[in-house]
Amino acid sequence: MSLATTKRGGAEIAPPDPWDPLVRITHWVIAGAVLWNGLISKPGGTVHVWIGWIALVVLALRILWGFVGPREARFASFLPDPRRAVAHVLSLLRGRVREHPSHNPAGAIMVYALWLSLALVIATGLQMTEWKNPVTITEEKAAVAAGDWSVLVNNATEGDAHSEDMSLSRLIKEVHELAANLMLVLAVVHVAGVAVESMALKRNLVRPMIRGRS
Amino acid sequence: MGWPVTLPAKGRSFPIALASFIVLQAVAALFFVADVTADLWTTALGAHSVLEALVTSVLLIGIVLSVAQLRWTLREMEMQGRALEVASGDFVRFIERQFDSWSLTDAERDVGFLALKGCDIREIAELRGRAAGTIRAQLASIYSKANVAGHPQFVSYFVEELLSRAAERSQDQTEDQPKAAAS
Repeated sequence: MSLATTKRGGAEIAPPDPWDPLVRITHWVIAGAVLWNGLISKPGGTVHVWIGWIALVVLALRILWGFVGPREARFASFLPDPRRAVAHVLSLLRGRVREHPSHNPAGAIMVYALWLSLALVIATGLQMTEWKNPVTITEEKAAVAAGDWSVLVNNATEGDAHSEDMSLSRLIKEVHELAANLMLVLAVVHVAGVAVESMALKRNLVRPMIRGRS
Repeated sequence: MGWPVTLPAKGRSFPIALASFIVLQAVAALFFVADVTADLWTTALGAHSVLEALVTSVLLIGIVLSVAQLRWTLREMEMQGRALEVASGDFVRFIERQFDSWSLTDAERDVGFLALKGCDIREIAELRGRAAGTIRAQLASIYSKANVAGHPQFVSYFVEELLSRAAERSQDQTEDQPKAAAS
């Protein structure tokens, strides 16, 4: 019952509810997982592996949602189109921006780049831990700590079998680290992109990702 | 002139809870799936692992159903929001047409809208930065143009219109129902 409510209306052009709850939750869980595993947790540690598996599930859920979710969450709304992405960045530089109901074309490319590098990190990570689930790893570590080294012996004989395997596993480790660093760099660019786009559109683009509406 | 339409906050917390639950459920399911596949891989097929596989698939079906439920809820909310917007837009247009037919001045239109929203003279005066006497005179002019006795009758003029339309619509529906049942 204030003047604000009567003055509003008609002026706002922002899409009302761009991000549904599943998109928001998966976004922040993956953001947290990437930051925690990339910067804080001990590489190869139990926590690191647990977080990696959680990221795997959440990514799988988001991809499923990309096929069955609401319009804005579907891949069909933000198919990768490099030409439109470049055009979008150029128009952004010229200060002309347009609202998009889902990701903007440049943002869409970023989303796919982040997902691909995340998938690569997860796949190489799984290979490095021999696809053992975190429960098994935790149990094995507990066994070793308790003085039962038999699991280590098993692993060692498998690992030493071929020197080719050794160089392959070293390559996988390299790819894991490279893709993880790439993802952190992409995340920084992503945040910068959101900041620039927010300034150009003159509205806070972070808020809808937290509260679901602008 | 439009009145902002927002869904009540209460309706929004359910999808958030459901989505959080789906994420938790999926993480939990993964460990069962990993355990079952590891068991089926390493040990021979036994009653234990078969039962475990069945339980896991039930869990997975549960997740799929939760995802469907979330999708359905979101679609429902979107449709309700849109219907509410259309209805409120129609109502505002109806009010504007009525104001036109009474040939209210611009100032009278604004005062009329505020009066319909339930503001009293003091509030309207404050919002518009005019003296209370001016608003009282404008309201009197509106009421005389609309040929109503005062504020309650002015409001009920529009409420009555809404209710009579609703009554018409429900009548249409009851007429439609037997046809729908027959076909």
